[in-house]
Amino acid sequence: MRRILAITRKEFIHIMRDKRLLGVILIMPLIQLFLYAYALSFDVKHLPTATLDMDHTATSRQYIDALQQSNYFTVDNVLTSYSQVDGAFESNRDKVVVVVSSGFGNDIAAGKAGKVQVLVDGSDSTGAQLGSAYSSALSRIFGAKIAITQAEQKGYNVTSAGGLTASVRTWYNPEGVSAAYFVPGLIVVLVTMITVLQTANTLVKEKENGTYEQLIVSPISRIELMVGKIAPWAFIGALDIVVIAVVGILAFGIPFRGSVWIFGISSLLYVICTLGLGLIVSARATSVDSANQVAALVSFLPTFMLSGFVFPLSSMPAALQFLSYFYPARYFMTISRTVFLKGGSPAVLMPQVAALAVFAVIIVVLAASIYRERA
Amino acid sequence: MTDRTPLETAIEARGLTRTFREVTAVDNVSITIPRGEVFGLVGPDGAGKSTLIRMLATVLAPTSGDALVFGHSVVSDPHAVKPRIGYMSQAFSLYGDLSVQENLDFFAELRGVPRSDMAARSKRLLEFSGLTEFRTRQAQFLSGGMKQKLALAATLISEPDLLFLDEPTTGVDPVSRREFWRIISGLHRQGITVFVATPYMDEADRCDEIAFMTQGRIILRDTPAGMKERVPGRVIEVAVSDHREAMAVLRALPCVHSLEVSGEMLRVLVAKDAGECECELRDALTAAGFAVGHVTPAATDLEMAFATLIPTAGAGESSDEQIPAVGE
Repeated sequence: MRRILAITRKEFIHIMRDKRLLGVILIMPLIQLFLYAYALSFDVKHLPTATLDMDHTATSRQYIDALQQSNYFTVDNVLTSYSQVDGAFESNRDKVVVVVSSGFGNDIAAGKAGKVQVLVDGSDSTGAQLGSAYSSALSRIFGAKIAITQAEQKGYNVTSAGGLTASVRTWYNPEGVSAAYFVPGLIVVLVTMITVLQTANTLVKEKENGTYEQLIVSPISRIELMVGKIAPWAFIGALDIVVIAVVGILAFGIPFRGSVWIFGISSLLYVICTLGLGLIVSARATSVDSANQVAALVSFLPTFMLSGFVFPLSSMPAALQFLSYFYPARYFMTISRTVFLKGGSPAVLMPQVAALAVFAVIIVVLAASIYRERA
Repeated sequence: MTDRTPLETAIEARGLTRTFREVTAVDNVSITIPRGEVFGLVGPDGAGKSTLIRMLATVLAPTSGDALVFGHSVVSDPHAVKPRIGYMSQAFSLYGDLSVQENLDFFAELRGVPRSDMAARSKRLLEFSGLTEFRTRQAQFLSGGMKQKLALAATLISEPDLLFLDEPTTGVDPVSRREFWRIISGLHRQGITVFVATPYMDEADRCDEIAFMTQGRIILRDTPAGMKERVPGRVIEVAVSDHREAMAVLRALPCVHSLEVSGEMLRVLVAKDAGECECELRDALTAAGFAVGHVTPAATDLEMAFATLIPTAGAGESSDEQIPAVGE
């Protein structure tokens, strides 16, 4: 115990005396939080939009005004013929072209759905997807509104009048604010990066400095050394989780609906996984450079790609989906998002927590055996 | 195995061998070192000195063979060995960002120095290594000599019975080197066994016994005086103007065994039975037109012993000692 504490104390001195490292641990997560939350925002607003009104009625103008006022579209280009559509896309000026077909006004007046064509620039897939979703939803709501107005004027029941009501509702994140969706995921990514990278470095650095030999001629077991070395990083990992969560809640107004206990326990399990992973890298690596590279490979990439952080797992090829089950980030990602945004009962989260626990045990046993074999 | 090792023995190596891929760094070394001795390991770079020390200090596992340190096997029972030994590696091996005091405290804690003893021991070590006034300085800002003294102090904090020193004074100024050896002499008087690898013959001269190591093998072992006696011949010191030209002339003489330059002098090894060789040397040089100063018999030194006793066959192709990362 005394030896473990000696190592831990020494590690803390290293950390406290390394200004750059302190920055990486404490400042960088916050910078990344703001960077990701703003720059990686998947909210599409003010899509540059061109309109082509082939109807030229009061109703069609009303529709285009509604687009303009919706905040999602910025009508900056009014086309006069269909042949100009290509030009609008090619010049990269517009992402969306909304074509109001002739007869739009009459159809609405007749109680039928008005025909609107929405063309999107498929080269920007996110913008395209959302652009078309927004405009069709808008069109339907608009269509319904017109229908209602007309129906009221004509004095009969709306539901029987053929007017459409599109109801799109995003649960748990009703405004569709990306920040809310990102912060819980970002916690996972940042904590993975910091803990894996730093622990991967810690032993290799000692090897490069020649201090490792001094450690192993001392009567300290590998397991004691391992525990002493990861203890500070477990603390820092936990600290980072708390800081990002608090800033996320205060600065981005994200909710925390679930159990603090479940989140705490799974954070702990997850950090054990990442620290163990870092130690394994550190034991195998031959230089600080290679340790960094391998650590980035096993931490950043899978957490980014295989956890559902950026790309929904359900839309991945089956092979990658399968692979994602073998990486603990997936489970912690689900837990983090659930406890922040949904709440989630212990019964629902239990399988995820159990998976993390299994991983933690496997990784610790693996790391310990690697260390023992090198005694 | 354990009970047959006499108590007076500090190290008993049997067939110790270590290979790195195809290179055999240490080749079947068997050696017994009595307690309380200062034992010097001398050999060219790449001879395998560091590898041998690292195996004896439990840092590196032998490929084959074993060594008993105070009766405990470094292979099967390294944890019984570790508390008894101190090891100072060739490279500076302390934490540069920790202060002198913090380094000492860390190693004291790590090696289980009783808390009640810690303060007194580190105070004593700081005093005798002359580091007291630098106690709060970060180790990375110490001079080379001070770093080595701190490393030694950190090694000594657990009061080991056996000290492994791997070229402890390489890159250290002469004054610090002398001071360092004064400390080692002090340890010797306390009965601590010291196993030191050194490239310096003047340091080897201070050891009780020395071993010549080359190409992974220990080829000779004797006291420094014994080593000098083994030199086949006697040394004549010649003061002459142009060393290089003069050497060519002398080498051509049948009685000359070998030559070396030592400061302003040429040291010439001549066969023991060569009789009155001095005149022959002087005459040859004078005949060749050199201004010759004194030509006098001199004592054999270790440098000469080293040069003549180590077979020259492999000297040119001494393979670089491969020291891979720890734990490989």
